[in-house]
Amino acid sequence: MKYMDKSIEELHEMLVKGDVTSDELVKESLERSHEIQDKCNAFVTILDDAKGCEVTDNLLSGIPYGVKDNYSTKGILSTGSSNTLKDYVPFFDATAIVNLNKAGAIKVNKTAMDEFGMGGTGTTGHTGVQLNPWDRTRICAGSSSGSAAAVAAGVYPYALGSDTGDSIRKPAAYCGIVGYKPTYGMISRYGLFPFASSLDHCGVLTRSVRDAAIVVNTMKGIDPNDMTSWDSSKMDLLGSCTGDVKGMKLCYVKEICDIENYPNASHELKEHLENFKKTIELARNIGMEVDEVSVDRKLLNAVFSVYRVIHSAEATSNMSNLTGIIFGPRGEGDNYIDMIKDHRTKGFSPLIKRRFVIGSYVLQKENQERYFKNAQRARRMIVDTWKNLYKKYDAVLCPVGVGPAKKFTELDLKQDINTMSLDEHLQVGNFGGFPSITIPNGFVSNLPVGINITGNCYEDEKVLNIAYALESAMDYKGQVVKEVK
Amino acid sequence: MSKVFTKELVDDLADKLLIGLSSEENAMVLDEFEAIDANIDLINEIDGIKDAEPMTHCLDDFVYELREDVAVDSVPIEDLLANSDDTEDREIVVPKVVG
Repeated sequence: MKYMDKSIEELHEMLVKGDVTSDELVKESLERSHEIQDKCNAFVTILDDAKGCEVTDNLLSGIPYGVKDNYSTKGILSTGSSNTLKDYVPFFDATAIVNLNKAGAIKVNKTAMDEFGMGGTGTTGHTGVQLNPWDRTRICAGSSSGSAAAVAAGVYPYALGSDTGDSIRKPAAYCGIVGYKPTYGMISRYGLFPFASSLDHCGVLTRSVRDAAIVVNTMKGIDPNDMTSWDSSKMDLLGSCTGDVKGMKLCYVKEICDIENYPNASHELKEHLENFKKTIELARNIGMEVDEVSVDRKLLNAVFSVYRVIHSAEATSNMSNLTGIIFGPRGEGDNYIDMIKDHRTKGFSPLIKRRFVIGSYVLQKENQERYFKNAQRARRMIVDTWKNLYKKYDAVLCPVGVGPAKKFTELDLKQDINTMSLDEHLQVGNFGGFPSITIPNGFVSNLPVGINITGNCYEDEKVLNIAYALESAMDYKGQVVKEVK
Repeated sequence: MSKVFTKELVDDLADKLLIGLSSEENAMVLDEFEAIDANIDLINEIDGIKDAEPMTHCLDDFVYELREDVAVDSVPIEDLLANSDDTEDREIVVPKVVG
C-alpha cells in the first residue's frame, strides 16, 4: 500500500505536486478493494471501470472513496444489502453523492451493510457477513460494516455511512477509525434509502477528524428535495478544528460510565472503562473541565425500547413500498397480493421481518398509546435531559460499547440487561439529532476501542474541535490495518 | 399492563404486512415482544411520562419553504420502468385485478 493509508490532505498535496496521479490512486484503491473483498467481504459492488479525474483546488478531487449501498447512485447497483432490491439500479444520485461528484470525488465501490441499515452486527446483508480486518473472527458492528472495514483496511481514506441508532459510530469504534454523524438535516437525506425517517442521518467514516470535517463540508447543504435539511453554509467544519479547547466543559454520565455499575464486569469491560478514564484525564490535561453527572436510571434503561419501538414503526411504514412490482425481483403468484407476499417473504431477512411485525403492532390504534406514544414521550424526556446537560456543558463523553468488537460466536448470547445502557446510549444522539463523533482511544485485548463525543444540535464545529483536540493528544490518528490476517 | 402475545397474533400481523413467517421467525418475534413489553412497563413508571409531549422528530425548528411554482422536467418513463421485471410499452404488467 503506497497511498491509500494517507489522509485526504496528504493525498491532495501529492496530487497537486504531481507526485501521484488520480488514476494511480484509483488503481491502488481498486486493487485493495478486491483484496479486502476476499478477506472481509466488505462490498456489494466494486466499480472496476472507475477512472481518475482532473485535480482541482477541491481537497476531494481525484481521490477514491466508498459509498454505503443504501445511497442511491445513478446507473450503479444500489441494493441496501437486501434481496428485495438485489437488481435495483437508481436513475438518480442522492444529493450527498451529487455534492461529492461536483467536488471531483471518485467512488470505487458500494459497501455492504446490515439489510437496509437495520442491525448492528454486519451479519444480515444479502451478500453475507462482513469480517473485522483487525480480527476476522470478530464483527465490524453495523450497519455501516463494509464502510468501516474498508476504511480501517486502507482501501481509501473515507467511506459514506448512515446512522439511525449508532450505525456509523459503533462500527468506527470496533474498527479503530473515526465515525461522524452531523446534526440531523445538515446532510440531505434525499436518495438515502429511508429506514426510520425521524432518526436517519447521513455521515462518514474516516481515519481522522480533519478528514471527517472535509468530507461533511462537501456533503452538507440545504436541499429543496429534503424539507428537513437546513442552511449550514456559514459552518466551516474544517476551519473549526483548531485544537483550542481551553475552558471547554465536558461531562460524562456516572450511571453509564462508572465501573461500579457492573459488578460482574468482564476483563475487557473493566479495561475499556479504565481506558475511558485515562482519556478523561487527557481531556483535563489539555485544558478542558470534565465533570461526572447523574441521569435518572429509568430514562437510561428506556433508551433501548424507545429506539426499538420508534424505528420499527417508522421502518414498517417506509418499507411498505417494497412489493417487487414496480422495482425489485417479481414474486410468484396468481394475483398481485400473492406476488407481493412471495417477494417480501423470500426477500427480507428474519431480522427485518421481526422489526416490521413489531412496528405494525405498536402502530395499531389500540396499542399506539401504550407503545408508540409512550416511546415518543420517553424520547422527549431523554432528549430534554441531554439538552439540560448542554446548558452547562459543551459535550457529553462516553465510551463506545462494552469493549472491543464482539466475536461472531458471541452474537447468539442474549443482550446483558446490566450493560444495555452502555451498549445502546449512542441512540440518544439520534433521538435528539445531536452531532456525534466517535474517535479511537486505545486498545483492549489488542483490538481498538473508541470514545464518543456528542454535543447540542448545530454545534458541530465545537464537537469536531473537541474531537480534534483529543485525537491530537493521542496516538491513534490515521491508524490502518496494514495486513489483514 | 403486560399483554399476552401468541403465535396466532404474530402470524396475523405478518399476514397483514404481506410477509410469511417460518415457525422459527415467529418464535423470534414472540421473544422480542416479551422483552419490549417488559421494558414498556418500565417506561410507564417514569415520573412525568404522561405529561411529556410525544417527540415525533429530532428538531423542532424546521423552516418550511414553498418551492417556486415552476414546472420542472419529469423523469423519463423509460427510466422509471427500467427496474420493473414485467413491463409493456409504457405500463407495468400485473395480473388482472377486476373481473
